[in-house]
Amino acid sequence: MQSRHLKVESVNAGSMADIAFLLLIFFLVSTTILQEKGLMMQLPPKVEDRSVTPVNERNLFKILVNSQNQFLVQGEVKPDLTGLRKDVKAFVLNEGKDPNLSTSPRKAVVSLKTNRGTEYGYFIEVLDELKSAYYEIYGERVGLTAAEYRHLDLKNRTELQIYEKGKAGIPMNISIAEPDK
Amino acid sequence: MKFKSKKTNKEVEISTASLPDIVFLLLFFFMVSATIRPKEEMLEMKVPQAETIAKVERRELIRELNVGVPRNPAYGSEPRVSTITSFLDIEDVAQWALGEKETLPEALKDQMIVLIKADERVNMGLINDIQQELRKSNTRKVVYRTLEK
Repeated sequence: MQSRHLKVESVNAGSMADIAFLLLIFFLVSTTILQEKGLMMQLPPKVEDRSVTPVNERNLFKILVNSQNQFLVQGEVKPDLTGLRKDVKAFVLNEGKDPNLSTSPRKAVVSLKTNRGTEYGYFIEVLDELKSAYYEIYGERVGLTAAEYRHLDLKNRTELQIYEKGKAGIPMNISIAEPDK
Repeated sequence: MKFKSKKTNKEVEISTASLPDIVFLLLFFFMVSATIRPKEEMLEMKVPQAETIAKVERRELIRELNVGVPRNPAYGSEPRVSTITSFLDIEDVAQWALGEKETLPEALKDQMIVLIKADERVNMGLINDIQQELRKSNTRKVVYRTLEK
């Protein structure tokens, strides 16, 4: 009789963990974390009349991928993409020196055209290569590697300034060409 | 020599009272950071790899489209488009995009980002068709989902 008053009855909290674990496992199994990383592109606006915008031929770097996943870079058949990055960089940074390459980085357009039968994986491979070329250009201008440039933290003001400086005057003009009807 | 002290008689227990707190913390993290997957993945997808990956800062703007061959042969062996919940015909993509735009707040409607998660063996014809549809509905920001190389 006297012990009842002295002992403090505690609820056993050990099983609480079991309940929480059960819930945790349920959520682990039933959920996917949204994957928000990838290659970003801006599509051109929809225009009804396809008036042709005059682009000086030399300012256009043409890449074609056919349905056999073969590459045609500037009219030359290429077995793979080695050297493409270098070619694109030379093209963009030409500044009018070579009469076959672009007149200025601002006007330079890299056009990527695919056939209906091209595999998506190859398209991504070329697109990635083109973006790498641009990032290498940006990086070199501020003394960073392409990877370092891409990982600049844009919320940090000094790093944002470096980022802007690298990009200034050289827009990433990658055009995904209108498919043939 | 005998090392028998009074202490050994007493049972030393580690308090497990804080364990639920830890587990609940984990639980809340998963509840907040995850979206519930309504169905088993319907499409076979092997996402391509790339180097120059960018991260979307505002994930609430993202709407996902999947492209791939259906896992269940009853839905055919041709690549198809699906949202996270159901299959979508290619002609309905523009309509879907407009519908999804309505779910965003007014100020953010034009900033909707469509994340295209496609199998690397899918033909570009289908991807191009999707893009044409998206242009029709004026949702022009596209992210091609890729894995890090």
